[in-house]
Amino acid sequence: MTPMRAMVIDDSRAMRMILKRIVTKLNFEAVEAGDGKEAMDLLADMTEVPELALIDWNMPNMNGLEFVTKVRADPRLREMTLVMVTTESEQSQIVRALAAGAHEYVIKPFTEGAMIEKLALLGLVPTGANS
Amino acid sequence: MSVEVEVDESDLAEMVEQVWESYLDPEGVSPLIPTYDENQPSEVHSSVSITGSWTGHVVYASSRAAAKRAAAAFLAMELEEVSEEDMSDTLGELANIVGGNVKAMLPPGAQLSLPQVVLASESSARYPNAQRISGVYGMWEGEPVSISMWQVSTDNKEEGA
Repeated sequence: MTPMRAMVIDDSRAMRMILKRIVTKLNFEAVEAGDGKEAMDLLADMTEVPELALIDWNMPNMNGLEFVTKVRADPRLREMTLVMVTTESEQSQIVRALAAGAHEYVIKPFTEGAMIEKLALLGLVPTGANS
Repeated sequence: MSVEVEVDESDLAEMVEQVWESYLDPEGVSPLIPTYDENQPSEVHSSVSITGSWTGHVVYASSRAAAKRAAAAFLAMELEEVSEEDMSDTLGELANIVGGNVKAMLPPGAQLSLPQVVLASESSARYPNAQRISGVYGMWEGEPVSISMWQVSTDNKEEGA
């Protein structure tokens, strides 16, 4: 069976490493991007679209909200599950992200367990991957 | 315009506790022990600036050993594997996370900068027209760590260090 793929988009290399560790543990193949623009460029070259993207909000070049908006406007990418992972925790920002098309919202700092729980709620945690 | 900030030391302490629980001490065996000593030494620091409804800085400062330990915990590495880049990235992200949570407690209209990391003492930093308004100071596995907030004065008072 082909493993699911996750794109980890954050300008912080440290945060990308944490997120990559979590999704790899869940048997995803991880792809990294340092900002929304780099992620869009990578997606343009991919024949198979990742099932999941974990997206920071505040990034140079293209921020997370712009990335979500662009993905939602592209029919080829419509099946991607988009999860914002950010320190932006104001209610108004969460509403903006969800309105733009994000499926879930995880506020930093988060525990590994909390992230896995969110992904499980989205039906993205393969059976037995969290044992 | 900058409003009086409503974020106090107990709020900061709660944010710091969450960071420790999430990344630096998920097993709960090695908490930050408060010292309440705002003059404790540091060898490295990182900061994010907030502008808008409140203007100031959120600063992480620690010894180099604590920074290295933080990077090892954050990135799930052995201490001896930690590079300068790992340390720098981790300190930047720590400042970013606490700064983002501080921003969330401010009135709407605040903007968060990208983090800055300086592998030198906090006392080498210069925050023009800013003064420290609160902080969490402690020892983590015997090494000094602090997270503090600096408010920029809107009137032209003398520079804080």
